[in-house]
Amino acid sequence: MKLWNFLRPPPLDPKLKVVGATAIFRDCSRQELEILKLYLHERHYLAGEIVFDEGEEGEGVYIVLSGKFVATRKGMLKRKKIGEILPGECFGEIALLEATPRLATVVAEESSVVLAMFRPELERLAEARPRLGFKLAMQVARLIAVRLRRMVEGTGESQVLS
Amino acid sequence: MSEEPRLSHERSLEHPIIWVGVIGATLGSIVLLDRVAWLALPLILAVVLYYLVQPFLVRLQHAGVLPNQALMIFLVLASFVCVVASLTVLPAMFNSLARFQSELPDTMQRLTKIASEFLQSVENRLPLAKRAGLASGMEARLDFFAQGKGTQFAGDAALFAFKWLPSLLLVPFLTFFFLRDAAAFHRLVMRAVPNAFFEKTLLLFDRMDRQMRAYFRGMFWLTVLDTITLGLGLWLLGLGQNIFSFQHAMLLGLICAVFAWVPYVGTAVGGVIAVCVCALQAPHSPQLIMGVVFLFLGVRLLDEFLYTPMTVGRALHMHPLVTVMMIFAGGMLGGVYGLLLAMPLLGIFTVLGQMFGEIWFDPRLRARHSARNLLEKRLASNDLEI
Repeated sequence: MKLWNFLRPPPLDPKLKVVGATAIFRDCSRQELEILKLYLHERHYLAGEIVFDEGEEGEGVYIVLSGKFVATRKGMLKRKKIGEILPGECFGEIALLEATPRLATVVAEESSVVLAMFRPELERLAEARPRLGFKLAMQVARLIAVRLRRMVEGTGESQVLS
Repeated sequence: MSEEPRLSHERSLEHPIIWVGVIGATLGSIVLLDRVAWLALPLILAVVLYYLVQPFLVRLQHAGVLPNQALMIFLVLASFVCVVASLTVLPAMFNSLARFQSELPDTMQRLTKIASEFLQSVENRLPLAKRAGLASGMEARLDFFAQGKGTQFAGDAALFAFKWLPSLLLVPFLTFFFLRDAAAFHRLVMRAVPNAFFEKTLLLFDRMDRQMRAYFRGMFWLTVLDTITLGLGLWLLGLGQNIFSFQHAMLLGLICAVFAWVPYVGTAVGGVIAVCVCALQAPHSPQLIMGVVFLFLGVRLLDEFLYTPMTVGRALHMHPLVTVMMIFAGGMLGGVYGLLLAMPLLGIFTVLGQMFGEIWFDPRLRARHSARNLLEKRLASNDLEI
């Protein structure tokens, strides 16, 4: 059997495995994930470092590879924690559709690694591979719909992100 | 009446430091590129080719081909075209060049005669022109050119080609790697950008990329449209007198369209060339020369109001005075390079200036960057009990 091992594709990059498990990229094939790899930027954050501020114009989505992030929003008196973001989860996905102000401030709670994907790059990717672009846009729309439903149904804000 | 809200990158250009920096960087780059022309020329040509070839690769990917396969298909096609061209077009070009060399002294003599006849007729009508000695001055200058450089044209061209050949061979090599590794190189550059400025810098690269892509593709289509309009116009004007064959009219149209790459000045130079060619072919036909002048004026208007908005667009949003001043300053500092590169470089540095202003004058981003530095410092000195 070992004789035929060279015909097998090499194992998938562990980072791509995490990307493939997130809500947005769940439907992507292995080949599509390999293409996506060219458009993902790895960023390292220290504990306490801000990823983006509430109200700042958003340009892309972040996929958590390791570490932990906290999302907060301005409250009446103090900042209100709305959720924690753990490995395998993503945040800032609305920015993939439109350059709108960020809804929350996200801060790294411990040293963390993320993969960032930028909206104009996704648009260019979708131009070259419309099927992949359509899949991603649909997944983002579904994810936002789920979060909207949770908010309308009155689920606590802290659970909206999860 | 409330004013339209303006984008932050438009506001950032209001800072005098930014626009002085933009002009300085543009002129500085022209000087630098002129100094390292042997490297700058293939690099610029490779970038232009990259932007022209990229849509073809995107179309292939659209049809389901993988990026590397698309590049291989393009390489095979390009190699085939190069082989066919070197077997057919190049020998014909060398033959034409040799014929041009042998006909050049005669052509120069005829051109001198036509020009001096025209200027003498002007002198007869205007005493002011007679006092200035227009005809004799022009004759002396054309004689000087004909005896000096003009007659050694083919030799000069061969020397020029020999000098630039190694540099030009770099063009396909560079283009290949730009097409193959542009995304990876982009990611490598982005790694060096601090987290606080990451999103804004990505936006900067994207805007710059879009601006360059729009400019080069637009210029390509503008050249095609100008070539067709001028070529057809010249062919139709000379149809009755059998002056141009269709191919020659199109070739002259192409040469004039290439000159038109230099805004404002280029069209005039192209027009003078076309008038000279017509004067040589039909020296006693002032109607034809007037027709060519009107054709060029018409094409200039078409460029301004139809072709440019359709192709290049008015992406640079520059005042005509700034445009002309930059072109002349570029020409003075970098010769032909400066003339051709002044506008695209000004466009790129304008975007860079806007984005730099947006990043540098944003106190929140700078504060976040400082905070990251403090966190790093604290982490590094955690166990040092300072």
